[in-house]
Amino acid sequence: MSAFPRERSGRHLAFSGWWYRRGRFTASHVLLVLMAVTMLVPFMWMVLASFKPLQEVEQLNPIPSVWRFENYPNVFEQVSFARYYFNSIFIAAWVTFLQCLTSAMAAYAFARLQWRGRDTVFRLYLATLMIPGVVLMIPNYTLMVKLHLLDSYLGLIVPASFSAFGTFLLRQFMLTIPSALDEAAAIDGASPWQIFWDVIMPLSRAGLVTLGIFTFLGNYGSFFWPLILIKSEHLRTLPIGMLYFDTVYGRQTNLIMAASVMNIIPLVILFVAAQRHIVRGVQLGAVKG
Amino acid sequence: MKSFFAITFCVLVLLSVVAWQIKPDPPPGKIPLVWVSDDNPARRQQIALFNQLHPEYDLRLDPRASTAGIEKVMLQSLAGVGPDLADAFSPSDLDAFVRSGVAWDITEELAERGVDLEGEVWPAILPTGIREDRVYGFPANVAVDAIWINKDLFDAAGEPYPEGPWTWDEFLEVAERLNVRDARGRIKQFGFLCDWWQWPQFIMLFGGHIYSEDGTRCVIDGPEATEAIQFMRDLMYEHHVMPTPVDEATMATQGGWGSGTITYFGAGKGAMALGGRWWLCTLRDYEGLNLGVVEIPHVKEPRYRAYGRATVINRYSPRREEALDFLVYEAGKDYNDLINRQADAVAAVVRYNYTPEFLRNPEHPEEDYNEVWRDVVKYGRSDDWSSFVNGQTAMRILNKQLDLIKSDQKPVPKAMRDAAREVNEEIAKTLEMDPSLRIQYYRLTGRERPE
Amino acid sequence: MRRQRHERRAALGFLLPNLIGFGVFTAGPVLFSLVISISNWHLHRTVAFQWVALRNFVELLQDRDFWLYSINTAYLMLGIPFAIAGSLLLAIVLSQRLRGIVVYRTLFYLPTFTSGVALMLLWKALYNPEFGALNAVINWWLDSLHLNELVRALGGGGVSAPTWLLSTKNMLGLDVEQIRIIPGQWGLGARDALIIMGIWIAIGGNNMLLYLAGVSNIPPELVEAAQLDGAGRWAIFRNVTWPQLAPTTFFIVVMSFIGGLQGGFEQARVMTLGGPAGTTTTISYYIYTKAFEEFQIGYAAALSWVLFSAIFVITMINWRLGGKELHY
Repeated sequence: MSAFPRERSGRHLAFSGWWYRRGRFTASHVLLVLMAVTMLVPFMWMVLASFKPLQEVEQLNPIPSVWRFENYPNVFEQVSFARYYFNSIFIAAWVTFLQCLTSAMAAYAFARLQWRGRDTVFRLYLATLMIPGVVLMIPNYTLMVKLHLLDSYLGLIVPASFSAFGTFLLRQFMLTIPSALDEAAAIDGASPWQIFWDVIMPLSRAGLVTLGIFTFLGNYGSFFWPLILIKSEHLRTLPIGMLYFDTVYGRQTNLIMAASVMNIIPLVILFVAAQRHIVRGVQLGAVKG
Repeated sequence: MKSFFAITFCVLVLLSVVAWQIKPDPPPGKIPLVWVSDDNPARRQQIALFNQLHPEYDLRLDPRASTAGIEKVMLQSLAGVGPDLADAFSPSDLDAFVRSGVAWDITEELAERGVDLEGEVWPAILPTGIREDRVYGFPANVAVDAIWINKDLFDAAGEPYPEGPWTWDEFLEVAERLNVRDARGRIKQFGFLCDWWQWPQFIMLFGGHIYSEDGTRCVIDGPEATEAIQFMRDLMYEHHVMPTPVDEATMATQGGWGSGTITYFGAGKGAMALGGRWWLCTLRDYEGLNLGVVEIPHVKEPRYRAYGRATVINRYSPRREEALDFLVYEAGKDYNDLINRQADAVAAVVRYNYTPEFLRNPEHPEEDYNEVWRDVVKYGRSDDWSSFVNGQTAMRILNKQLDLIKSDQKPVPKAMRDAAREVNEEIAKTLEMDPSLRIQYYRLTGRERPE
Repeated sequence: MRRQRHERRAALGFLLPNLIGFGVFTAGPVLFSLVISISNWHLHRTVAFQWVALRNFVELLQDRDFWLYSINTAYLMLGIPFAIAGSLLLAIVLSQRLRGIVVYRTLFYLPTFTSGVALMLLWKALYNPEFGALNAVINWWLDSLHLNELVRALGGGGVSAPTWLLSTKNMLGLDVEQIRIIPGQWGLGARDALIIMGIWIAIGGNNMLLYLAGVSNIPPELVEAAQLDGAGRWAIFRNVTWPQLAPTTFFIVVMSFIGGLQGGFEQARVMTLGGPAGTTTTISYYIYTKAFEEFQIGYAAALSWVLFSAIFVITMINWRLGGKELHY
């Protein structure tokens, strides 16, 4: 299977022939617009509700009669939202960094270096990919308990930083790099470490970016693990903080929507900026089902 | 590429330093003490007062929602990362603390410091601190609920304020007259608001029991308990004086600690509400609320549910000796007066509830009903509990059936029978797993398992 | 030879960080989990630790809750075929170079990308029986079509908007406490709400992107040949598109199935707490409550292994039927 989908120009696409008839053309547009509206409406509701005064949330007017911009700062007053933000980004950044680094190094060992048992170990890695997260959560939790890492940054960062999946993905990318390049470098006297940094890594940039984005995304929204690990207020990540906010501080739907908007905005920005990487990543199997 | 990683690493290390700095740390030179309790804003003042009286300590609160909190606290204590002080919210919580070995037996230690639990504290709250004549925790407060009334809503309906003692029939009439409907015929103001988790209160009011006296079986399917729950259900679905779950979901309200019924009541969605004096912690924030209190109607003699927190010391804490000072503080005048002023329910130590400061709080002169609160505590009884079943598991089973009743999915008698049966099965399971419990059970009943 | 040994040492160096992490946080826990599942470990020691062999598994099979929650898990997967079909349709439509394709693709993918607690709180608000947008629309329809009066006139009990997350009703009429079907339970309730939300999130998501890639890989000669033979739109789809997309479809179905078996946790924890009356509790949520609210670690581990076995069986079937071409 090739590493990149073949780019095709419009005229060669599957149905371009008979779609040109007017009727079909419009039908597609109608469908697309309908879907787009369906996708957008909930988000619109969220944004509009986040500016409403509380009584209006109960009413059915879509547009707020008064725009309460102070709902947003209010969120910060009621819960330590800034802290949650910092925590989520801080932890996700560390996890992404560690994962990319260790996975790249391991992928290099699997893709480029010859050693006995290499393929067996790799198959072992692959085998663990199908294990549901829940199976691992319980023992990892008891391990954290024993190591006294419960309710700590380390507990949130370290277990999440090692993934067989990252290794698998990067190995795929590295396999597509022609080995002639490293051989040339080896002849010039480069050590595997140097080959790794100077030849392989720069050429794996696409894979690294993809892995980085999806790891960051996965960790930013990570819910189960912080839920069971964290108890202190100052360590809460955004998902847990949002849950706490919703549960404890009254049913203030407008503020919760404001918090949700703030939660989602970085994701929207990330997506719009890195769209092509993301799409390509998914199509190459970067998402675990 | 290499430089990119190197730079990123440096940035991350920098951020880590920042994260470390902004971690809340105790000031140097003071002994840090950690107290796990709920998020009630009143805690801050209680802690500040302690720190003032004991400048050598720095007491901090580790807020935990009371429902899921206990298990985690125990787990952490056993893992060596537990707090120094933790609150038990019920006798079964204390039971769990004691049986897992986390609660420190402080009978002698408290006696040495002149604290006499049994002599000083309301009898109703003793089971939350004492187990088998050994003292494990000191009660932090006592709550016995009564009925709050919103005087303005009563005035608007032209109703006189009810006065105790009164019966449930009288109550029903008043509640029905206080329902207000909107133009579409839907009720927008209810006569009565009550949290569904108050069902043990109703069972007690009607003379029923959850467990038998010795805790060996679940008897929630008894006639009084069934009648009690039937009444609660009828309040929603027959008399329509209490909001159903669907009604509740549609009441969006302001925030403030203790969401749910308290905030609905404060927002004027109900004319009467069943709650405790500690509601004032949140209700005082609602401007212009004109409140009164009346005792809960009763069936035969008054029998109200008493509940409250008791603070226990973590046996594995390296600072457990110092933690004793906090319990002594809880037994003292300053703390108890503070509890009464803050309206964090009622002070646990009896004599501080007979002071003039208690009856008329100078900061809140409109609160002229404090006697009612004090007097109902006399009739308080602690919850039933059983040491033969895990409290959380039993509650989960009972709540599952009660949820079905609450959403009108199941007739009450059947649900009660199923609940009792499942809890008894759970007791049997627990007995199977734990030989020491089996011995205890045998001593009490002459049997090895429930029949 | 020297190079081989050199490479092996180098390999060890490269591999070590990841391998240690793998061993400690993945491989080790798998074994540990298997070991605990044959014990009665209760995490705060109120019960004496014992090895109980297969008793957890036996208890599991007799646990009515387990079967009820398995049914819930299966029920929530009912939306998967619709989501997949929708993704396919969207991919086909998007694969024409119409104007603004990228914008559409972005919009469709947004729900998947932003999926999480925030989105679930949003949907929880949308599903509110009184002021949620969904019921607002439904009620407006009911009112303007005077459906209520119509049904009453026909002798029925009246029609009202469903109460979604507060209702145990469902499209199959499943009862709450027993495994059977009751007519009174027919309607739209919490599980259906979750299915609808699930479809909304997934329809323009990863599956659509995979189908887009698949469609763009269809050799145009095949389509042109079919058109020259006079085949209509539907015939082309049935004879060219669908077979060509078969490997992609297979992959998507298997992945969705596996995901569905493990899923439902976040929704249950954030939106319904597993209710009402346990109807939105899936197997993963059940494992969570057993392990982290009741701390019955042994039993929870046994449950998770049953879940794993189900997934394992499906993966094996996948291997057999689909061949290994899809993995690499």
